[in-house]
Amino acid sequence: MRKILLVEDENTLREVYTLILSTEAYELHTAANGQEALAKCESITFDLILLDLMMPVLDGVGFLEEFAERNGGVHTKVIILSNLSSGHELDRALAAGARKNVLKANISPRQLLATVRYELET
Amino acid sequence: MATNAQTDTDQPTLRNEQPSTSLAENSRYRLLVESIQDYAIFLMDRDGYVSTWNKGAQKIKGYKAKEIIGRHFSSFYLPQDIKADKPKRELELATRFGRVEDEDWRVRKDGSRFWANVVITALRDENDELVGFAKVTRDLTERKQNEDELRSANDLLREQRQELTQLNTSKDEFISLASHQLRTPATGVKQFLGMLLEGFVGDLDPVQLEYIKKAYESNEHQIAIVNNLLQVAQMDAGKVVLRKAPVNIQKMIYEVTEEHADHFRQRHQSIALDMSEQPLYVPVDAEYFRMVLENLVDNASKYTPSKGHITVSAQAKGSTARISVKDTGVGIAEKDVARLFEKFTRIPNLLSESVGGSGLGLYWANKIIALHGGRLEVQSKTNKGTTFHIYVPLRQVDA
Repeated sequence: MRKILLVEDENTLREVYTLILSTEAYELHTAANGQEALAKCESITFDLILLDLMMPVLDGVGFLEEFAERNGGVHTKVIILSNLSSGHELDRALAAGARKNVLKANISPRQLLATVRYELET
Repeated sequence: MATNAQTDTDQPTLRNEQPSTSLAENSRYRLLVESIQDYAIFLMDRDGYVSTWNKGAQKIKGYKAKEIIGRHFSSFYLPQDIKADKPKRELELATRFGRVEDEDWRVRKDGSRFWANVVITALRDENDELVGFAKVTRDLTERKQNEDELRSANDLLREQRQELTQLNTSKDEFISLASHQLRTPATGVKQFLGMLLEGFVGDLDPVQLEYIKKAYESNEHQIAIVNNLLQVAQMDAGKVVLRKAPVNIQKMIYEVTEEHADHFRQRHQSIALDMSEQPLYVPVDAEYFRMVLENLVDNASKYTPSKGHITVSAQAKGSTARISVKDTGVGIAEKDVARLFEKFTRIPNLLSESVGGSGLGLYWANKIIALHGGRLEVQSKTNKGTTFHIYVPLRQVDA
């Protein structure tokens, strides 16, 4: 089973994305910030990480940079799932190894599932 | 002023060599100097003691002739200037260079200060021996006050301008932050409604489906407004940086109209693309240009009643590409066209009540096209339809 890590600090969003992603056969793990995500990555190798950017404790860019440092680069597929449509933070995240950016506010549940499926298959 | 002192000695010999006439002219000349009111003109001996006094001197400095003649000219200086030996220094300079000019504060008899322009000229006899000094003083207090007022008004303006710039930056940052924060709860609503709408939890009855649809649309509208606010804040903050590259414009038009296919269907509108087979490559920022196109196509659909028709065309005309979005919609009254690209403009029409908008879309689109070195134009007739033309240069130019 494909392993997905969802990193999202907003409880409601973490809940609804969990509900959506659970409708397909994935092994889903969640983290509420970059620090928790790093801890999960220590013991599990994920096929895909859905990463929010603006988070307390350790933000998305901080997670990517630390992840790259520990693993000699970002070899896991990472999709930015945030509400930042542009700007410095997003540029940094993409430069740090994220594959692409999906704007949360613009994507419906079915579109999210399609994006995840597409990323896992390619 | 220096020539005045020269005239004093030269004029009689130049005009007439007869000594008697010279005497008469001398006395008339004295009369002239004595009666001048706007300039303090007086003579001093070699050590700076006042020896003559005119009306102007009395008026400006407040001393009568008998009060000041015989006194040292340092009486007109501020105590700190006297302490710093300024009067003495000025006489030395006048002796060495023939004249010295100064603009500074001086003191009147009553102790009040005035802003003075002072010229001290050294007077020498035919053997080039120093015999004394002529001093001409003007009271420029009023001019100085005007200058000072102007300067402080200028400083104030500069400060206020700085404050405004700061306020504007804070405003942009605030809008940016607030919009990001607003997106989060709006996203939560969208996901839960989306799950209901997209059948994640089974079928809904027709009324439930209709209500959820309305809620979903409302949420979409809210997100669109937040997106527009963010785009405009980014634009106004000068943070839009175009990354231009040749883009196949027909392909982009095709994709954008495909995305809106559902809307056209729902509104029973027909769409036609009028484009040449030959691919038209235009140097634009693909992301921003696409958003402008989406904006125009979306508007065309929203403001065109059911069974209307929309045409999107793209042509090269000389060194310019023209992309047009034409509709058979409600149109825009002539008086409203000028306001169309202003911020927060919403033109009232038959459909505007039912069509949501932030009044920011066209403002933003117009600015983006201008950044491309192009222009956005509109032709419209009420109840006949509207056409938006985008003109962009075909060759890469830095706007």
